[in-house]
Amino acid sequence: MIQVRAQIRDRELHGAVHILHLHAPDLARQLHPGQAVLIQTGWYVDPFLRRTFYPVAIDDAGFAIRLAPDADRGRAWLRMPPQGAEIDILGPVGRGYALPERTRRILCLGQGDAAWTLLPLVHAASAQGLGVALAMEASTKRQTIPPRDLPITVEYHVATLDGSAGRRGDLRPLLPDLLRWADAVMAAGSLDFYHVLARMIEDARMILPRDYAQALYQTDFLCGFGACQACAADVAGGRRRVCLRGPVFDLVDILR
Amino acid sequence: MLNLAPRNKLGLVIDSPLLAGSGAVGYGDAWPPGLRPEDFGAIITAPVSAAPRKGRPQPRLTEIPGGFLLDTGGHNPGFRRLAASQIRTWRRLPTPVILALAGGEPGDRAWMAAHLEPLEDVIAGVELSVSEDVNLGETAAFIAAVRRATPLPILARLPVTRATYLARTAIVAGADALIVGTPPPASYPASQTLIEAPLSGPAAFPFTLRALSLLAELDLDSPIIAAGGVYSLDDALLCLEMGASAVAIRGLVWRDPAAARRLAINIRPFMPEMEGVESDEG
Repeated sequence: MIQVRAQIRDRELHGAVHILHLHAPDLARQLHPGQAVLIQTGWYVDPFLRRTFYPVAIDDAGFAIRLAPDADRGRAWLRMPPQGAEIDILGPVGRGYALPERTRRILCLGQGDAAWTLLPLVHAASAQGLGVALAMEASTKRQTIPPRDLPITVEYHVATLDGSAGRRGDLRPLLPDLLRWADAVMAAGSLDFYHVLARMIEDARMILPRDYAQALYQTDFLCGFGACQACAADVAGGRRRVCLRGPVFDLVDILR
Repeated sequence: MLNLAPRNKLGLVIDSPLLAGSGAVGYGDAWPPGLRPEDFGAIITAPVSAAPRKGRPQPRLTEIPGGFLLDTGGHNPGFRRLAASQIRTWRRLPTPVILALAGGEPGDRAWMAAHLEPLEDVIAGVELSVSEDVNLGETAAFIAAVRRATPLPILARLPVTRATYLARTAIVAGADALIVGTPPPASYPASQTLIEAPLSGPAAFPFTLRALSLLAELDLDSPIIAAGGVYSLDDALLCLEMGASAVAIRGLVWRDPAAARRLAINIRPFMPEMEGVESDEG
């Protein structure tokens, strides 16, 4: 983990959503998909807690975070600083997704805003020549990842609750075929989403084996280095610090 | 150099007036980027109890204006496991380690203190937190029990709202120094529940200052460590000016390690001197 002053190099506006591109090459070199960064917001000490973000893009020069409309004053503050402004960041926090050796076909499964955190992984896996399928469910089209943000080789499936993009409803009807195809699954969503996913894996592959599915346990961190115990949650058979053991876990460990 | 336990034959000599407050660096094993053990005069561990505690389930944290409330439910691995797992870490640290002993069943803290003997070469002292709801008799009893169980320096952490009421009793019972202190408890919502915990962050600082000023009037002959909301060099110097011998930080370490490092560097020239302790300058 390092602490850096990152410069806002660009701000993309997509309706009410901002994508903030941050210049932080030292941090970007250490950052893996699924790891978190802790961003100081506001002036002086208010808001006091850093805000936790899971980058939606990572390159040599830095990374990007996605700011969806949010009543939280810290996240709202990040919508204001102009291009060139510097913000204080701690990261990376914890362990990210790890592409298993000998895997050739990766299924990335996302739900709502969390699905965006899979984007760096989708790009990394695609760049390694792996077969990548991304399937996401969202409430509406505005929450979905635009196809233009994906590598051309990625197979993309969308389901929206209102039917504004892709199939109407959730991903469940698509999962049996996708799960039989995939060597490994990388997921980002809610705990309910993971329970459904586990049942679908058991249906498609008889069991939920260890080392088959990894899932992001999305939580907010205080210190991010294991001191404060604020993030301790019931994972991996005990109450454990997510900042040290996660935030990406084997799906088996999240559900135990 | 400064002795935080001048009346204790073992003493507790520190070379910086800045301490890592209770749990700021976990048990001395959780370090943020840029901060080193040498930046602190001493390290106070997170509290450990006689038996393991699973602690509170999520949520544990909520933000308040100017700070936060954190309730871990006393999550810790228990005394025996902690001592076994951390002894090598503590031995390697170049900075005195003060072990915070958490309450629980009556006699738990004395039991842990009695089992510190094999650790006396790596543990420089113990911190005992006095809770909001104990009376003078109970305070005297548990501090005296720990005093009988270990010769190590005892730092009594007092609730800021009752510090003046409890201070003399804690010292008479055997405390070598006072930590002022535990900020008042507060409640705030988090994920459809209420977190109840002492105030943390800069919002706690006015309470610390008030307790310090009231203690100054008592003219106690024991070192006082200011803890609670210290967030800048100005805060720390104000505490020293008001009679504190040292200051402890925690929230600053967690939120802004770089600022904590700057404070560690900038506060060294302001090291208070105490009678009977030789300074670096001789």
